[in-house]
Amino acid sequence: MDSGLMVTKVNGNSTSTFGGDVDLGANNLTTTGTLPAPDALSTASGSAPSYSARAWVNFQGSGTVTIRASENVTSVTDLAVGRYEVNFTNAFADVNYVCVTGLNLNTAGGGSVNYNRMAVSNPATTSKAYYNTFSTNAVLIDVNVNQLAVFR
Amino acid sequence: MDKRIVYTQDDGTVAVIVPTVSVELALKDVPTGKEYHIVDVSEVPSDRTFRDAWTWE
Repeated sequence: MDSGLMVTKVNGNSTSTFGGDVDLGANNLTTTGTLPAPDALSTASGSAPSYSARAWVNFQGSGTVTIRASENVTSVTDLAVGRYEVNFTNAFADVNYVCVTGLNLNTAGGGSVNYNRMAVSNPATTSKAYYNTFSTNAVLIDVNVNQLAVFR
Repeated sequence: MDKRIVYTQDDGTVAVIVPTVSVELALKDVPTGKEYHIVDVSEVPSDRTFRDAWTWE
């Protein structure tokens, strides 16, 4: 079809015109052209924009290192006690991305067992981030639950 | 994922790559020029007491 398709933005009652083509496939609706970007995610409130994580991983760092769940991550490299690299499926445009970490010494509980434990992650290259876990006095340690989310 | 990719780091210790989806996709994460081996997860010790002393023979 060559006429414009009216699209209602997901976050409100404003409308804008999309001029691309629509293909009603057997199971999927696909489009070509450029859809107008939503001003906010439908779950967000307020006027500040929302940005999703571009990569994330939850992996076990004690015993047999295992990846529990992830997106946009091809692997985790176990380098040594408390030292890892998280490798991205799709690289970032630059190394100005932000790494947000979490950890838990054990899978159950938390609280006081995590006192004096710290996870630090920084960009290494556009395609991987360092991820290290420490105890007091900058001693590298293994912890069970390691969490990393990356934003850009 | 029951496979791992191992290679020897510049300091002589072993790095273990844990793939999320497939070994084939994770091969890009081996540093350029490094010899690597694909092993079963059962070949990697689960006791990490001496993790920093692991070597590959």
